Amino acid sequence: MSESLLLEFKDVDTYYGDLHVLKQVNYTIGKGEIVSLLGGNACGKSTTMKTIMGIVRPTRGTVIFEGKAIERLSTAERVRRGIAPVLEARRLFPRMTVFENLEMGAYTRKRGPEFDQDLDRVYGLFPRVKERRLQVAGTLSGGEQQMVAIGRALMARPRLICMDEPSMGLSPLYVEQVFEIIKEINKQGTTIFMVEQNANMALSVAHRAYVLQTGQVVLSGTAASLRENETIRQAYLGEMQVQ
Amino acid sequence: MTTADLLLQQLINGLSLGAMYSLLALGFTLVYGILELINFAHFNVFMVGSFIAMWTLQMFGLTGQDVVMTGLPLIGVLLVTFAVTMTGSGVLGVVIERVSLRPLRNVKGPAAMITTIGVSYILFNLILLGVGADSKNFPNPLPQAELHFGDAVLRLREVLIWIVASVLMVGLWLFVQKSKMGKAMRATAQDPEAARMMGVVVDRVIVMAFFLGSALAGAGGLIFGLYYNFTSFIIGFTAGLRAFTAAVLGGIGNIPGAMAGGIIIGLIETMGGQFISTAWTDVIIFSILVLVLVFRPAGLFGRLAPSKS
Amino acid sequence: MSGAATTFSILLRPFARIAPLHRRRAGLLAITVAALAFPLLHDNDADIDAAANALAYATLALGLNIVVGFAGLLDLGYAAFFAIGAYAYGIATSFQVMPDWSPFWEPFAWLGLVAHVPGSGGPDQVHFTVSFWIMMPVSAVLAAGFGILFGAPTLRLKGDYLAIVTLGFGEIVPIVVRNWDSLTNGAMGLNGIAAPRLFGYRFGIDAEPYYYVAVGLVALLIFISTRLRDSRIGRAWMAIREDEIAAGAMGVNLVRLKLLAFAIGAGFAGMTGTFYVAKLQTATPEMFGFPVSVMILVMVVLGGIGSIWGVVVGAVLLQLLQSWFLQDLTQWIHALGRLIGMPLLLRIDLVQSIELIFGIILVVMMLYRREGLIPATRRAPALTFDQQHAEVRRGSTIALQGLGEGAKSPHPALEVRGVTVKFGGLTALKSVDITVPAGGVVAVIGPNGSGKSTLFNTITGLTHADAGRVKLYGTDILGLPPHEILALGAARTFQNIRLFPNLTVLENVLVGQHSRLRTGVLGAILHLPRTKAEEKRALEWVMEIVAVFGNRLMPRLNQTVNGLSYANRRRVEIARALASRPKLLLLDEPTAGMNPAETLELAEQIKGLHALGLTILLIEHKLDVVTNLADTVVVLDHGEKLTEGRPEVVRQNEDVITAYLGRNTAAGSAAFV
Repeated sequence: MSESLLLEFKDVDTYYGDLHVLKQVNYTIGKGEIVSLLGGNACGKSTTMKTIMGIVRPTRGTVIFEGKAIERLSTAERVRRGIAPVLEARRLFPRMTVFENLEMGAYTRKRGPEFDQDLDRVYGLFPRVKERRLQVAGTLSGGEQQMVAIGRALMARPRLICMDEPSMGLSPLYVEQVFEIIKEINKQGTTIFMVEQNANMALSVAHRAYVLQTGQVVLSGTAASLRENETIRQAYLGEMQVQ
Repeated sequence: MTTADLLLQQLINGLSLGAMYSLLALGFTLVYGILELINFAHFNVFMVGSFIAMWTLQMFGLTGQDVVMTGLPLIGVLLVTFAVTMTGSGVLGVVIERVSLRPLRNVKGPAAMITTIGVSYILFNLILLGVGADSKNFPNPLPQAELHFGDAVLRLREVLIWIVASVLMVGLWLFVQKSKMGKAMRATAQDPEAARMMGVVVDRVIVMAFFLGSALAGAGGLIFGLYYNFTSFIIGFTAGLRAFTAAVLGGIGNIPGAMAGGIIIGLIETMGGQFISTAWTDVIIFSILVLVLVFRPAGLFGRLAPSKS
Repeated sequence: MSGAATTFSILLRPFARIAPLHRRRAGLLAITVAALAFPLLHDNDADIDAAANALAYATLALGLNIVVGFAGLLDLGYAAFFAIGAYAYGIATSFQVMPDWSPFWEPFAWLGLVAHVPGSGGPDQVHFTVSFWIMMPVSAVLAAGFGILFGAPTLRLKGDYLAIVTLGFGEIVPIVVRNWDSLTNGAMGLNGIAAPRLFGYRFGIDAEPYYYVAVGLVALLIFISTRLRDSRIGRAWMAIREDEIAAGAMGVNLVRLKLLAFAIGAGFAGMTGTFYVAKLQTATPEMFGFPVSVMILVMVVLGGIGSIWGVVVGAVLLQLLQSWFLQDLTQWIHALGRLIGMPLLLRIDLVQSIELIFGIILVVMMLYRREGLIPATRRAPALTFDQQHAEVRRGSTIALQGLGEGAKSPHPALEVRGVTVKFGGLTALKSVDITVPAGGVVAVIGPNGSGKSTLFNTITGLTHADAGRVKLYGTDILGLPPHEILALGAARTFQNIRLFPNLTVLENVLVGQHSRLRTGVLGAILHLPRTKAEEKRALEWVMEIVAVFGNRLMPRLNQTVNGLSYANRRRVEIARALASRPKLLLLDEPTAGMNPAETLELAEQIKGLHALGLTILLIEHKLDVVTNLADTVVVLDHGEKLTEGRPEVVRQNEDVITAYLGRNTAAGSAAFV
């Protein structure tokens, strides 16, 4: 039912020069879901992220958000329509304060009561972030930066959050916290699309998942069914013979 | 004059020149911070700015040192002149970016820098051909108020320069720190792709940086005219060298650094000129430039600029 | 096509049938004859003088072309070297510097380098009378020396900063000249510079002899530029220009070659400086400032950056513009102004506006034709008929002799011991131990961010290690610069392919041979027999390597690599590494981006290389490739070695699987075991 579909990729093909990085890729993400995109090295996960955000344009195919095709829209327009990123390795603005980083998340919005509400919500979810709101972002630890990065995305009041490898480079403690937060945000109503290498963690919070290998979707299904699927290991270790 | 008086006088002069260099360096560093581009044309925008200022003042019927104004009319004239000069220079900068630099945004190598050399030459020669090589008398409507400290003299024009430069620098600082566009500029300078993903339209940020930077250059040009009572087609080159060194000294891309660097270079110029010799000032300044770039490229306050990929 | 164009193309048709080589030679002959005959046919002294000046600027453009065009170093202060050569000659022949006479000067007087001048009312003095012909090479060497002096501290700066610093030096020199009165007569200029003398004939005010000297100078420098460009040195310069890091990793000594480019460029300018002031018989500081540096840059940009004939044409065109064309055009505009009654037009003087035109040229060329009027041609060494029609097949490694030498070594090929690498607060590698036995194949695998590429970068000298040792066949290499490590036998490819984009396949691969060849500047210029033999052997070796990839690369040898497919670019990179006759080959994800068929083909080729005895260390994430190729697999995770062993064992290892699939720190579901 497309009314409850938030984001769709339909037959997307992307090339970097002559390198075929996404091959006839199809995803659907329903409202309120957590959908994870899994796969090993260099399989096309980050290209998917960039395609959603508008940094990369698909060569063929279409990307549909809330029923409308967005593959030709600028990044700024997509953010305005309700898609916000949590970037790989955080990529906070290192010499701006935590607060200013959060502000940048709300760049496309006006200041006002809604902004303040969202700020309170972020501070509520991440008390540590509130403590450090005047600290320069580059001096925070990796885990703290990840909290700020998620908060920054929330400040856009998005309907869809795209997360790129949220567990990368974090200690196990923080990884747990981050995934708890992901669950919490989702419960509060935000749809989440998560690119993640840590398949175990991802499948413990996601509703559904896709597995990519060298640009093709080789597996997809509910998290429960994938958890039991042997072939996922093969895909990760680069063994699966792809047609 | 006694040495103490000389010192004081050169301190006054140095701070005035330094204020001008700071404004120039600031404008230059604003653009470099975002684009990592050395914009040679910047210093001839400064020169054009001083001509715009001169023509504006002439339109008020002011020529040379004869006509003196006071009170509200004076303030009015100055405000209008600053506004016109800064806007005109700002627009010039935006046009330069749009026409000659935006098409080269994604071209690797020195192509963009070479283009700014070309634009610089074009501006320089258009003015030369248009108004001639002789120095032009720059109108000075300020009354002859002076303060004496022993033999050292502090004139009204210098106080005005300090006030204007301070206002502009504080204004820029506030803009960059507090305003939405200012924060977008800082974010773009630190991580352009992440800024894009926040919804920042990077093209507009760049236009704003050029507008502000060029407007500051124009203000610098007006200050030049007020200070020296003349302007000519050639002022961009010498002032440019010093302002560029100031920006490098402070750390290219670093805003407070550019301000500090300008003051330092201004003081070096006047003190060096007084106590060593004016002939060698250029060599000293150039040597500072070379030494900083070779031994401490990040400048006094900056961090190493990210290498272009 | 218009009638005129059709006629023109019909007229040219017979020429098209002549082979390119003969066409080139005929063209060269025609130009030479025209140049030599010019003063005889056109006996206008002013024009000949202008032509001589144009040729002088052409040599300057040729010199800057070596620095900017070949080596990619933007020098904005080039005129400084022009000044040095000029004032050196000026001081050596004028009455400016006249020390007191002493017996010390006797031998010099005997050699004719100085004259003993009786003092009028004072002590006797020395008048320098060094011959023009001696000063030419001396100025070149002197300027080259300054080139090294300025270059040494600054050549490691990145592009923009280098440009600014050279601009700085370019300004300091005229200022020093202006202020050091005693040596240079300051702003008033050095006068009384002696005209050259050839076998007793003294060059007078006639422009002709100067013109011929200029022609000779240009011919000489074109010759030198061409020889250098087509040599090992030229290839190394262009590699630096295209991708410094890859150049270093392929054995190019960056510092030495950059200094060489700078010095030779400076030498050209110094020589020209001597010629120029000998012609003018005067030298002033204004002749050598930033505007002159910019003018030379405009010539290079207009003609074609990196194009030898292009910059000569650019220089001549610009001089023609200044001396002839603009004057006529100005008259025409004035006439037009009178005709249509527009007094503004009468004020226009295009000759004065020459610098405006320079600015417009720079902007227009950069925006619309960055390669210049006459783009640099790709002139790879000519292939023989047999080479061009080499049998097209899948290729094999049988022909590659000598790659397996390392396998006989008693030492392990590579020993990495306790290597730790930190970037700020992040530990990328922690106390990693790896051994690669001589003649073996070891694969390094691990999830994203585990430190694999950092490991390669540390081994090949691109990244600094904080602790540990690395031994290549028993020799310590940690801390050595990349080009030395390559020379010792470790060659690599890069994860995201670093080729030299504007060079051809053949040129790219030949760069790999750089460290194995010995030709220097002299050999390159003189085409010594040793040089020719060396190049021939290098070419043969490269052809054998390219043949390994069958018909993939052979037909594309003269294509620039930026037009190749991804897979082919990968193959060129591997060929380039092989060209250096490595004893250890490091491949960073060689099959990335290849489809299964291409992956299989490459795996077979790598296997063939191994069968010859070549030791291979590879990063690879396709586990079946790894199983096919590797004896041993090392697994990295978060910068540490997790385990190592035979591929079949490792891929079943629980910890390895967990590392890839991620630890689930939530209680319960430990899937995928």
